[in-house]
Amino acid sequence: MSNKANKTMEMQGTAAIWPGTTAPQHRLAGVIWQRFRRHRPARWSARVLLLLAMVALLGDFIANEKPLYCQLEGRHYFPVLRQYAVDAGLASWEARFFQKSWREQPYEVVLFPPIPYSAGTIDSANSGCKSPFTTQNTASWRYRHWLGTDRLGHDIAAGMIAGTRVALLVGLIAMSIATLAGILLGALAGYFREGELRVTRIRLLLNLVAFFLAWFYGIETQRFDLAEAAENGNAAAAWLRIFATVAGIFLLANLLARQLERRGWPFLGKRLSLFPDLWVMRLVEVLDAIPGLLLLLAFLAVVQKSSVYYVMVVIGLLRWTGIARYMRAELLKVRNLAYIEAARAMGFSTRRILFRHALPNAIGPVLISVSFGIAAAILLESSLSFLGLGVAAEGTSWGKILSDARENPAAWWLAVFPGGAIFLTVTAFNLIGEGLTRAYSPE
Amino acid sequence: MIAYLLKRLFLFIPTLLAVSLIAFGLSRLTPGDPVLHYLVTNPFETSISTPQALQQAEKRYRQAAETLGQDKPAFYFSVKAKAWPDTLHRIIPRDRRETLEKLIARYGNWEQIEAWHQELRQLQLKSLSLPDSLDASLVSFKVPLLELAAAWREAHLASLLSEMQKALDKDPVLAEALGQDFSELKQRFEAVRGKATPGLLRIPSLRWHGTDNQYHHWLFSFLRGDLGVSLYDRRPVADKVAPALFWTLVLNLSALALAFLLAVPLGVWSAARQGSRFDQLTSLGLFMLYSLPAFWVGTLLLVFFTTREYGMNIFPGPGLGYLPAGLTWWEQIGRAAPHLILPVICLSYPALAYISRQARGGMAEVLRQDFIRTARAKGLPEQLVIWRHGFRNALFPLITMAAGVFPAIVAGSVTIEFIFNIPGMGWLSYHAIFSKDWPVVFSVLMLGGVLTIAGLLVADILYALADPRVKLDKA
Repeated sequence: MSNKANKTMEMQGTAAIWPGTTAPQHRLAGVIWQRFRRHRPARWSARVLLLLAMVALLGDFIANEKPLYCQLEGRHYFPVLRQYAVDAGLASWEARFFQKSWREQPYEVVLFPPIPYSAGTIDSANSGCKSPFTTQNTASWRYRHWLGTDRLGHDIAAGMIAGTRVALLVGLIAMSIATLAGILLGALAGYFREGELRVTRIRLLLNLVAFFLAWFYGIETQRFDLAEAAENGNAAAAWLRIFATVAGIFLLANLLARQLERRGWPFLGKRLSLFPDLWVMRLVEVLDAIPGLLLLLAFLAVVQKSSVYYVMVVIGLLRWTGIARYMRAELLKVRNLAYIEAARAMGFSTRRILFRHALPNAIGPVLISVSFGIAAAILLESSLSFLGLGVAAEGTSWGKILSDARENPAAWWLAVFPGGAIFLTVTAFNLIGEGLTRAYSPE
Repeated sequence: MIAYLLKRLFLFIPTLLAVSLIAFGLSRLTPGDPVLHYLVTNPFETSISTPQALQQAEKRYRQAAETLGQDKPAFYFSVKAKAWPDTLHRIIPRDRRETLEKLIARYGNWEQIEAWHQELRQLQLKSLSLPDSLDASLVSFKVPLLELAAAWREAHLASLLSEMQKALDKDPVLAEALGQDFSELKQRFEAVRGKATPGLLRIPSLRWHGTDNQYHHWLFSFLRGDLGVSLYDRRPVADKVAPALFWTLVLNLSALALAFLLAVPLGVWSAARQGSRFDQLTSLGLFMLYSLPAFWVGTLLLVFFTTREYGMNIFPGPGLGYLPAGLTWWEQIGRAAPHLILPVICLSYPALAYISRQARGGMAEVLRQDFIRTARAKGLPEQLVIWRHGFRNALFPLITMAAGVFPAIVAGSVTIEFIFNIPGMGWLSYHAIFSKDWPVVFSVLMLGGVLTIAGLLVADILYALADPRVKLDKA
């Protein structure tokens, strides 16, 4: 079938024929990729994203107040690289680097990055929103603020580069969480629609008890330890302990359930249907019924310390509903196809059918939803920092620079550049989603 | 159909309950004391110099807590360790209660902790009733005493106690007045430390509080239409929400109407001329428009068209302008209209892009159907084919979409209202969340839930009315 499809495709040149879900996975992916590439805007978007990803990854080498390389009193330094080691706790700075700013050190040889400012560097000689086009109070063109400065004298170009990293990280991490949750819950709902997920009464009972115990020993009794650990700055260990407790309790309960199931008790051994579809769809309904931005704001009001990582996690936990809906619809279609029936008839375990046969075939279209989701997440984060939330006071993001434009209407560069960057990124992800839609739909 | 609607309504009850639980849970988790917030001035922070003043402050706090229902248990039940008393919620103020909670979490012996707490208060009252002549040494005694009320770390408590001991040792008069109570306090501290029962902290126990709890009162007064009182300015929440909802509705409905009026013909035309230059250009243009962040456009419009910097201040600045009291709704809209133009533009263009894309997609789908070919084959004019045969069938997805925007309308567009300073729902909830005005937040979230659900129901009904093939009972 797929062979034939490929041949027809070659013969017809451009018009590809949908080979159907029975095509082998690698073939299908190839076909999709071919079609995706033929869509010019999508191709360009992929290139733009590649560029943005490079900027995000190499941002420290593009805009930094530290030199890339310098020679001081006959010693060679690579301060930008070294900062990574310092951050990891492997190295430390000599005292002289604290006594003078990076610009004023008596270098013998020095090579600054293209933009010799970090996002947090304050150039007090150029504070008060200097336009990119006016004369700036800098030593030479080398130190010019190409995209202007804000009220305090931050370099906007450096801020834009730091913002790229924030935006892409938000898109990536938030959507990873959302995708994971969405695929799992959506698959659960779609595949086990009509009460085919059945567990014994004893297992259900033990899991309910485990839930109660996990709440008590995992959260209620460790609440204060966690708060104290967070104050001392080592919350990670406390979280890990909580996670281990919860996971351990559930593991024990299910191991016990497995042992007890073997006894074949008449009442407790009876199987019940769980109707995951009903539960998951109710949850989706609840989350969709609350205005998203408001819920996000309320969540962030609860965590006092604003950090972009909280924003990522919260966006991820709120934005899985679209993916779950998509996944469910896709699996509802797939589960009735003949090859799933065949797999069932061959006696494969449910887990194997679900993960090896059903999910891979439903996952493609979910990519579309993920791509649009990343665009939405980036937009959401930038609106949050625009509202003065999310990114911590010392951090920079596109939305935060943009929000300064409201107070400084004369500084058009505060509005135009970050907004343009948000627009570009969001459009790129949306166009990729669009390209994927076209690649996946027959039309 | 009635049966179907009833069934849907019934299914929405758990959804609404879940929304209310989320809102309530968030309000409980937020740090800060709502009672102090309500009282505006902290009664304990004003310089209290007599025992009567302290008792007065406590009374004021207690009354406010009673008005807000904060002296009740939070929920129907609670799961706590056995070491916890089930009447802890009666101990107010909140920061005192939280200190005691930390002590319980450490030592697990409520009996001793309560004794310590009582003695501490006793000593505080006594130290206040001493004459001012003892001033100098009294200060060095009172400062650690005040700090003691918020201390819970063992080392911290011990160091504060020894500090107080030193102050007593220096001044025999003070020692005579307070020495006995102080040694009692120290004994009780030793008791807390010595008779610790951490084992009790590991035994779970479930407590039933009954319906006299905060959540129950909150939910049922909401259902009765009583939205509570704003913590921020003590105005009834309903009085704050109503005008906000009005402005948001004005803004969003006009934006939506504008969007539909422009988007539907645009979508239909480009579907009718599929593949033409017009279609390609509008598709690309609308796509870009869709990706254009509204808060950016809003900021740009605000910067360029309302400020004098660029000489293009055609529109008035942010806010609604001066609206004297006593105007009817319509007069208010008329007065504020120039202020609403830019926000409406910002709200309508993303909707425009989205709706016309949907309209084009739906229309393209319909135009591929056989009956369109039949209509063309029998020689109907193209206009008739498109609008009467095609469009009527492409209408359905648009109906669902119109209903789907309800939550957005309730929440308002937070960013747009923020930029243009329009006192709508988005603006209200933004400020309510930041001033921890939970009664307002709760009402907004619940209204959002209710209206979303109503929107979905309306969509179902419209769907059934527009398409005679849809039989809701069988759905």
